[in-house]
Amino acid sequence: MTGAAAAIEARGLHKRFQATRALEDVSFAVAPGEVHALIGENGAGKSTLIKILGGVHRPDRGTVGIGGRLRRFSGPREALASGIVVIPQEMRVVPAMSVAENVLIQAVPTRRFLGLPVVDRTAMADNAAALLARLGIAIDPRARVDRLGYAERQLVMIARALSREARVVILDEPTAALEAREVERLFAVVAALKADGVAIVYVSHRLDEVDELADTCTILRDGRAVERYARGERSRDEVVRLMTGRDIETAHASAGAGAVGTLLRGPLAEEPEIAVGEGRVLGLAGLLGSGTAELLHRLFGAGRYAAEIEKSGAPVGLKSPGDAIRAGIGLVPGERALGLAMALTVRENIVLPNLPLLAGGLRLKKAEIDRLVDRLIESVDIRPPDPGRTVRELSGGNQQKVIFARWLAGHADVLLLDEPTHGIDIGAKAQIHRLMRRFVDDGGGIALASSEMAELLAVSDEVLAMRRGAVVGRFSRDGEYTESALRSALGG
Amino acid sequence: MKFLGDRLNAARLGWLAGQIPLLALIVLCLIASALSDRFFSPININNVLMQGAVMTVITIGMTYVIICGGFDLSVGSVVALTGCVTAMAMLEAGIVAGVVAGVAVGALVGLVNGLVVTRLDVNPFIATLGTMVLFRGVTFLITGGRPVVGEEGLPELFLDFAIERMFGIPYLVWLPVALFGVFHWLLHHTAYGIRVFATGGNTEAAYLAGVAVGRVRASAYVWCGALAGLAGVMLASRLQSGQPTAGAFYELTAIAAVVLGGASLFGGEGKLYKSIIGVFIMVVLANALNLANVHSYWQQVAIGLVIVAAAAADRLRRR
Repeated sequence: MTGAAAAIEARGLHKRFQATRALEDVSFAVAPGEVHALIGENGAGKSTLIKILGGVHRPDRGTVGIGGRLRRFSGPREALASGIVVIPQEMRVVPAMSVAENVLIQAVPTRRFLGLPVVDRTAMADNAAALLARLGIAIDPRARVDRLGYAERQLVMIARALSREARVVILDEPTAALEAREVERLFAVVAALKADGVAIVYVSHRLDEVDELADTCTILRDGRAVERYARGERSRDEVVRLMTGRDIETAHASAGAGAVGTLLRGPLAEEPEIAVGEGRVLGLAGLLGSGTAELLHRLFGAGRYAAEIEKSGAPVGLKSPGDAIRAGIGLVPGERALGLAMALTVRENIVLPNLPLLAGGLRLKKAEIDRLVDRLIESVDIRPPDPGRTVRELSGGNQQKVIFARWLAGHADVLLLDEPTHGIDIGAKAQIHRLMRRFVDDGGGIALASSEMAELLAVSDEVLAMRRGAVVGRFSRDGEYTESALRSALGG
Repeated sequence: MKFLGDRLNAARLGWLAGQIPLLALIVLCLIASALSDRFFSPININNVLMQGAVMTVITIGMTYVIICGGFDLSVGSVVALTGCVTAMAMLEAGIVAGVVAGVAVGALVGLVNGLVVTRLDVNPFIATLGTMVLFRGVTFLITGGRPVVGEEGLPELFLDFAIERMFGIPYLVWLPVALFGVFHWLLHHTAYGIRVFATGGNTEAAYLAGVAVGRVRASAYVWCGALAGLAGVMLASRLQSGQPTAGAFYELTAIAAVVLGGASLFGGEGKLYKSIIGVFIMVVLANALNLANVHSYWQQVAIGLVIVAAAAADRLRRR
């Protein structure tokens, strides 16, 4: 499938950033109408590769060919002009404009009025409707984009790609923020693109998606393309080993660990009320907007109103997160951007919620802080193990470990986790699961909200299914405890 | 090993890039001394220090507000207001009452700014744009637009503060040195300082880490107001009166100094000593242009260009 037929082809790409080798001798090719998955852990070189293909970076060595012709892009604009469209994770749409305007932003139809070119609104609506229909997307072209959800904005971006006769569409982790139903819709759109003869480069962490969608797959590890295979040629375990370079055992709950005592019950006199037991992981299953995140925030005193809870048998009023922290509760919020001050160091981010313990008045207990931070960095395995490094320099998985570390520093015995492994690579995910396991083995309790059913079932002792802020199903290990049962309860 | 060497080099390069403001100040001083042999004369150095002193005190507060993710346009008006309040109180009830009144009024109007920004959730730019006009109006109201000097002038001892020296340096200059020490420690070596940086860097994350973000943000405005109040006191001592028109453009100079020092206008990043370097870049530049007999209209053009160029250079460096 190499040679003249390729819609896009990279040969021998090398790229270094100062001391870091980002890509080394990476080659791959995608034919028209082919879906090619690009997988690898964080830092494997996926984003660098995308940026070179999209004209953002220039390779130190190696070439990029489009439709059999060598191209050197001096910037993203040139890549776009030769038909390469990158759909990034963060949506570049203009919120205050309509869907049609956003779709046709690079190809505005005009007509003559008094000899001057003016925007042809009718043609615009028609063209946009036609593009959306071609992809099977049911969105009103007149709707304002700020009324749309994330998934629909993403589809608007893809429709925009078609407005420019895209030959190659590069999707960067497109499902990271989507619900199950939206993922299916996205897959249908990808199939429509494929049928149109567009070459698709699909970057993802999620191996089940790759299995379902990709014709071929390239695995990147440490900046090298370590493997290229066609659908069905490699087992899941082989793929994981190739991605990580090691074997990963998946975490499993200590099934049968009996609930000894209740650590946290709440919010009292409200629906839903949940109870987190000593040594137990309580799973909260729900799609985006099901209320699991709100529930965790309320139990952390970060809801809109104050909440009442019972902590280790005693009533506690939560007016702010400070109250919850004092009561021994920690929260890992759904987006890392909500949990960390990126410009601050690892040390400061770990210390922040524990300052009342680590400062005598204003004065910081420096020696004690250093000892504690060093111990935690080692215990949760933050890499590089440098407390003075700013958090923004760390990978997503290591950032998440910093948030975990801060709650292991204090006296927290209840952790509220909202999608703690969202968007981090498999290796880091297994480490997070081990940390959770260790925490409950030491007598702590965890409430875990996740939209990933398999993960939820694997690490929880009991799972509650939530819909529209209410518990609609309860699944424990001695009853029916399967993904299909959970899915049908969620209606997803 | 090579990798390690590269890393160290990168770290050293980053450190060096962070020292650009200091290098710029040194180069500026060398150029100034080349242009005029009066630059390093004791009289001129004294002049530069006196001019920098008042602005340093204001800029300390501004640095707190900006690192905390805010902005304060009202400090110039606060300097005028507190200068006049100080003079009036002093004429009525003596030096101590005057100084206390000036600083207290400054802290109070800072609290007003802080509450408008945190409780009413008004954008800091708009909020302090409003209070900038408001405080100036109040200043004119209480003074009738006339300087406050009294019949026999302000007390001698108070005026001596701007004249008398310790180790050859005016007391007026020693004050910001002491304040810098205290506020540097508070910002960079205490639990409160970590909270200020966290609040400015990511308010939501700080809130979810148990920081009382509203209180921390408001506190930054209180410091800023109180320090502007103290600057008003110092200026009254220098000008030997309360001047209702004083402090014009001080807010812009202070903000420019903070930006020259490399702090992020988005909050969460900055160093107090670098802001002070920023102050002296502004002061020395104006002083050098004066010595070189550049017309004051051209001085404004030059200073404006330097601010824009420095901010642009900073953006390039971060890229």
